[in-house]
Amino acid sequence: MHLVELSRQHHGGLRLDPARIGEQVARCHMVPLVISEFRRALADFPIVLAKSAETGRFSPYALMGLSPEENLFWDGTRLDAAHVPLNLSRLPFAIGIDQQPDGAVRNAVCVDMESPLVSESGPEALIDGQGRDTAYFLGVQKVLHELLSYKLMTEQFVQTLADRDLIAEMRLNIVLESGKPLVLTGLYGLDEDKFNRLPDATVTEFRQHGYLTPAYAMMLSTARIQSLIDRRNRAEAGDRAWFQ
Amino acid sequence: MNERIKSVCVVGGGSAGWLAAAVIAARHRQGHEDDLAVTLIESEAIGIIGVGEGTWPTMRNTLRKIGVSETDFFRECDVSFKQGAKFTRWVTGAEDDFYYHPLVLPEGFPSLDLASFWNHYAAGNEAVPSFSDAVCFQEAVCEGGLAPKLITTPEYGCVANYAYHLDAHKFAHFLRKHCIEKLGVRHVVDEVDDVVLDGKGDVAHLATHRNGPLAADLFVDCTGFHALLIGKALGVPFRSCQDVLFIDRALTVQVPYDTPDQEIPPYTISAAQSNGWIFDIGIQTRRGVGYVYSTAHTTKERAEADLAAHVGPAIEKLQPREIPIRSGHREIFWKGNCVAVGLSAGFLEPLEASALVLIELSVEMISAMLPATRDTMDITARRFNDVTRYRWDRIIDFLKLHYVLSKRTDSAFWEDNRDPATIPESLQEQLALWRYRAPGDQDFSSNSEMFPAASYQYVLFGMGFKMDLSERGYLVRDGVRAEEAFRRNAALKEKWTRSLPKNRQLIEKIREFGMQRV
Ligand SMILES: Cc1cc2nc3c(=O)[nH]c(=O)nc-3n(C[C@H](O)[C@H](O)[C@H](O)COP(=O)(O)OP(=O)(O)OC[C@H]3O[C@@H](n4cnc5c(N)ncnc54)[C@H](O)[C@@H]3O)c2cc1C
Repeated sequence: MHLVELSRQHHGGLRLDPARIGEQVARCHMVPLVISEFRRALADFPIVLAKSAETGRFSPYALMGLSPEENLFWDGTRLDAAHVPLNLSRLPFAIGIDQQPDGAVRNAVCVDMESPLVSESGPEALIDGQGRDTAYFLGVQKVLHELLSYKLMTEQFVQTLADRDLIAEMRLNIVLESGKPLVLTGLYGLDEDKFNRLPDATVTEFRQHGYLTPAYAMMLSTARIQSLIDRRNRAEAGDRAWFQ
Repeated sequence: MNERIKSVCVVGGGSAGWLAAAVIAARHRQGHEDDLAVTLIESEAIGIIGVGEGTWPTMRNTLRKIGVSETDFFRECDVSFKQGAKFTRWVTGAEDDFYYHPLVLPEGFPSLDLASFWNHYAAGNEAVPSFSDAVCFQEAVCEGGLAPKLITTPEYGCVANYAYHLDAHKFAHFLRKHCIEKLGVRHVVDEVDDVVLDGKGDVAHLATHRNGPLAADLFVDCTGFHALLIGKALGVPFRSCQDVLFIDRALTVQVPYDTPDQEIPPYTISAAQSNGWIFDIGIQTRRGVGYVYSTAHTTKERAEADLAAHVGPAIEKLQPREIPIRSGHREIFWKGNCVAVGLSAGFLEPLEASALVLIELSVEMISAMLPATRDTMDITARRFNDVTRYRWDRIIDFLKLHYVLSKRTDSAFWEDNRDPATIPESLQEQLALWRYRAPGDQDFSSNSEMFPAASYQYVLFGMGFKMDLSERGYLVRDGVRAEEAFRRNAALKEKWTRSLPKNRQLIEKIREFGMQRV
C-alpha cells in the first residue's frame, strides 16, 4: 500500500478500474463496518467484533468467510451481496489523517497508488472534460463522507459495549457437510443474556444514543453464520464435483 | 461462649493489610444489611515498609477476585511483567553463569517426566541446551526482553504465565482506594497506642490515639515488623531460622532509568554476590535494587561497594536504605481472636518472592474459613496454624536449596551455607531421593504446597544437580514422546519469540489503549 494525498493538480488524469476490486476482495474474510450500514449489512453478513492487532480495541466487521483469506461472497466478478460495505466501495481511496505541525488534525482524501484499481486503461476518471467531478468520483466522495461521519459514533458504540461488559467471544464449532470440523476464534459478539438483563435506565440511554438498532442488528445477524456455512458447503461440493 | 463473628478489624495498611481487607471484604460484603463489617486502621506517621515489589502469578487471580481492572493496576502502580527469575552467578560465580526459574511448566509436565530424559541426554553432552531452555519456551522470551502476552490478549489472560513487578507504595494506595470506594471497607487513620485484652486472653479492643477504643470480633495483625498484636500484646514467640538462612540485612535503592525508553527486563534478576545476593526488579519508572546479605560474613562498607558495582554510576546520587531482617516466623500465627499476616507473621529473604504470595494464601484461607462464632474460632485457628507452619517450612527448604546446590567457594558465606548442620532434615531427605529420580508431584502431595515440583526441577537442574538414573535406565530408553516434547518446545520458542512484543512496548500500549476484559 502506498497512500498519497489526492490533489487535482497531481491526480487529475488518474484512471480507475473498479472491476479489479476482486484482487483486493477475494482474499478478504472480514471488512470493517460503520454503524450506519449495519442495517444494510444485516441482509447478508454476520456483524461481528474483532480486535485490532495494534491496539487490542474492538471494531465491527462484516464476516465474509469462515477462514482467513476466504471470501465466500466473491463470485469471481462481483460481491454477491445486496450491500457492498463502504470500506470496499471506497477503494482505492481512503481518508488519511494529517497531523499538522501545530498539532491540529485534518482529514485528507488519499489514494493508494499501489492498488490494482489504479490503472491507466481503467474506464473511470475523476474529472470530466469540463473539469467537473465525474459521477463516479462524486459517488466515492459520498462513501468517504459517510465513513467519516459515522467513525466516531461507531467507536463510541463499541466502547460502550466493552465498558458495560456486553461483549463475549463467539465460540463457533462448525462441522461442514464434508465432515470437516471448523473452529472460528477471535470473533466476538454481544452477550444476549447480559444485554436482555440491562437495567431500564441503560436501555433508555442506549436508545437515546441510537445504540439499540445496531445492537439488535448485531444479535440478529448471527443467523447469517448459517448462510456462510451453506456457501462454504456449496463451494466444497463444487470443488469435489470438479475433482471427481 | 457463642458470640457471633460480625466484624473484622485489620490493623496496618501495607500490602498485607490492604490485601487482607480486600479479600475478606470481596467475599463477605455483598451489599446486605447483615454483611460482615470490615475496618482497617493504619498509622500514616509510622508508614509502610514500601519494599516487596515482585509477586507470584497468583496475584492475577487475587486481583481479579477482588474486582480490580488489570488495566487500572498497570496504569496506577507502575506495573511491569515478571516471567520468573534469572539467577546469575549462583552456581560457580563465573561471569556467564546463569539459569532461569520461569513460570511456565516444563513441556508435557506432569504427565511426561521430561526432566529425566533431559538429564539422560545432557549427561556428558555439552551441546544439549540448559534445562530451562530445553523444556520451557519462556527463557527465550525473557532473554529477548519480550512481554508474556499480546495487546489482544484479555486482562489477566496470557500467552506465557506471568506475575508482576509493582511499586509497593502505589500498590497500597491502589488497594486502599478500591477497598474504600468499591468494597465498603471502613478506613481509620490513627495510631494504636495499646492493645487491650479481655479476661480470656482475646483482644477486646484497640486503644487508639484519637478515635477512642476500636473493638472487633476478629483482629488481623498486619502491623509489619512491629507485630503489635501477635507479638507485643499476645506474646507469641518468634522462631528464628537464621541458623538455616543467614541473610539478615538489606541495602535498597531505587535506580532511575537512563532513558525513558530503556528496556525493562521481564523477569527478576537475582545476582549472587560474595556474601548474599542482589535483587533487581524493573518497574515502569525505575528499578528497585537491593543487596540482601549476611552481616556475620561481611561489613556494611563492603556490601555498599558490591551494591555500587551492580548499580553502576547512578549509585552516586542515591542513598541506600538499610533494613534489618530477622529470618523466621511466629510459633503460631492465629491466637485467640487475632491472626497475623505479612511481616508480623514472619519474614524470609525475598529469594523467591514468597512473602506476598503467602499473604494472598493466608488471607484467602482466613476469608474462606471465617468462623461464624467465637467457639468455632479455635478449631479454625488450629487448622490455619498447621497449614501456615507447613508453608513456612516448605519455603525455608526451597530457599535453602539454592544455597545448598551452589558450588561457589569464594567466601565463607557460601561454604557455611553448605554445612550439613544448617540444612533442614526434610530438605536432606528430599535431596537423597532426588539423587535417583526427578522431583514429582508425589513429593508434594499436601493441599497446601507452595512450590510445585516443577520449581524444584528448575532450580535443581539449573544449578547442575546430577541424577543417577542407572538403576531405572529403562524409564528413559524410549525417547519418542520426550523428543516430541523437545520439538514442541522449540516450535513454541520460535513462534513466540517472533510474535510477542517487547516488554516496555506492550506496557506502553496498555497505558494508552487498555486491555480488553474478554
Ligand atoms: C528488602 C525486602 C525485599 C522484599 N522483596 C519482596 C518481594 O520481592 N516479593 C515479596 O512478595 N515480598 C517481598 N518482601 C516482603 C514484603 O515487603 C512484605 O511482605 C510486604 O510489604 C508486606 O508488608 P506488611 O504489610 O506486612 O508490613 P508494612 O508494609 O510494614 O505495613 C505495616 C502497617 O502497619 C501499620 N502500623 C504499625 N504499627 C502501627 C500502630 N501502632 N498503629 C497503627 N498502625 C500501625 C503501619 O503504619 C503500616 O501501615 C521484601 C521485603 C524486604 C524487606
